[in-house]
Amino acid sequence: MFHETVVRFGALTAMGPTSLAVRAGEFLTVVGPSGCGKSTLLNLIAGTLQASSGQVLYDGRTVSGPNPHVGYITQKNYCLPWRTVAANIRLPLEFRRVQRAEAERRVAAAIRQVGLSGFEHAYPRQLSGGMLQRVMIARTLAYGPATYLMDEPFGSLDAQLRLHMHVELMRLWRETGSTFVFVTHDLHEAIALGDRVVVMSGRPGRPKFILGIDLPRPRDVVALQGDPRFGAYFRQLWDAIDVH
Amino acid sequence: MSIEQIGQDVPARIDAPAPAVARPLGAGPFGAMLASRAGLAVVQAVILAVIIAAWQAVADGMHTEFWTSSPLGVARALAKWWSSGTLTTDLRLTLFEAGCGFVAGSLAGGIVGFVLGWIRGLGDVFEPFVLSLYTLPKIALAPLFVLWFGIGPLNKVMFAGLLVFFMVFFTTFQGIRQVDRDIVANARLLGASRAQIWTKIAMPYAAVWIFTGLRIGLPYALIGAIVGEFVAADSGVGFRIKESTSYFDTAGVFAGLVVLMAVSLLFLGLLKIVERHVLRWQDPGMTVTAPDHQA
Ligand SMILES: Nc1ncnc2c1ncn2[C@@H]1O[C@H](COP(=O)(O)OP(=O)(O)O)[C@@H](O)[C@H]1O
Ligand SMILES: [Mg+2]
Repeated sequence: MFHETVVRFGALTAMGPTSLAVRAGEFLTVVGPSGCGKSTLLNLIAGTLQASSGQVLYDGRTVSGPNPHVGYITQKNYCLPWRTVAANIRLPLEFRRVQRAEAERRVAAAIRQVGLSGFEHAYPRQLSGGMLQRVMIARTLAYGPATYLMDEPFGSLDAQLRLHMHVELMRLWRETGSTFVFVTHDLHEAIALGDRVVVMSGRPGRPKFILGIDLPRPRDVVALQGDPRFGAYFRQLWDAIDVH
Repeated sequence: MSIEQIGQDVPARIDAPAPAVARPLGAGPFGAMLASRAGLAVVQAVILAVIIAAWQAVADGMHTEFWTSSPLGVARALAKWWSSGTLTTDLRLTLFEAGCGFVAGSLAGGIVGFVLGWIRGLGDVFEPFVLSLYTLPKIALAPLFVLWFGIGPLNKVMFAGLLVFFMVFFTTFQGIRQVDRDIVANARLLGASRAQIWTKIAMPYAAVWIFTGLRIGLPYALIGAIVGEFVAADSGVGFRIKESTSYFDTAGVFAGLVVLMAVSLLFLGLLKIVERHVLRWQDPGMTVTAPDHQA
């Protein structure tokens, strides 16, 4: 939860006074022009960035350092090239000193969930971009954070593969029951995935419009594209963003 | 010039995988022959034989035995050293000196390189000091080392260690400085402690450079020991080479050189085996192709 939060980098105010409450278990998508502070918003929740003024609360407590309850997935892949897929996924469990047997069990489950079975012993350099992104998701699944922060995670994937990942992500969201905060610049993606879409204003960024997406779940992300309600939501977001 | 630039001739192998299969050099049977491992070894053996035969022919035909010795002369000298036991004692001493120097220099260079590379501020402070030591021709320190450490093995160990230290230090320093800070920040978010970031991220990350430093440093350990023995010693391979020179025993000099060459090839081979095991994730031969879209 954000309360009148402001972030400045020197003279630059990256994020204006922002108040926003993320609901437990919801899928919240965030859109806005580039440079408006979307990544900054996630960094505040993750605790890798401190607010210049105002408050950032997680579960009622002020975030003051790396937040252990969140999983952070970005476009960049943080796979360690000397570790196999399974060993990369195990990494956070090693950091958290999870028992070996328990860790192996969770790694195997995560690999199955993201459809990487058969690639446990492959090295990252042998994998394609989409598979690396799956490894990153599996690594987060393995330690089961209550909140997933995703910063344009599928930005570098081709359109077809992206749709495919949307289907999987929806399934994971249902299975985990976790809260997702998903940043994107793709309005289709924001509507198809989100319970609510937050539209940020240009710099200094602040939420200027929140659109509830009242489409039935589970959603068929492919069929949705033709739904008339989908088109209406798209129109509303488009007008709200007003890039000019 | 900065410390980072010095190590720049070190191949950044992390980004540059070699082609998976050696391509034939050209069309035709010769190119095809070089493409296979066994064929390559045969060609190399033939070249070696030609060099040895030419050496012998020049020594016999042009009577240069005094200046160039000859393969037979070298073989005789080696046989003499072997039967008298000097080969064993000399080799044992020189290897001991080089070995101790290598281990001490690598450890010190690795640790100092790691610390100065990791803590940026500290690295910046010490950079000019390390650089001025680096640019000093370290051979010039050899006489001083006699004064400090005497004429025994300790002197050679320290000197070999000094040379190795700089090689391993610079490559480690550079490797650690290139550790991706985003990955470190990400690891912290995943719950890594300070110690875990060192052992699980920074050290493996720098392993490629550390091994490069070890590979470059290995011959320097021998150089250090030999130079030390040149300056002051009463046995060792370096001493034997110098002694042979003063008796105009060219065969002895060349025999010493052959021994050194064999020793350093052997150790480089061993190091390569260790390296291949530790860095097997880099093996360009491993490729798996996989469809991205799975049912
Ligand atoms: N560490 C930083 N130092 C200085 N400026 C930054 C830093 N991080 C972000 N910014 C600036 O803050 C603004 C918002 O950045 P960001 O949150 O990354 O935007 P978005 O993700 O919406 O594209 C941008 O203008 C960016 O240049
Ligand atoms: Mg961003």
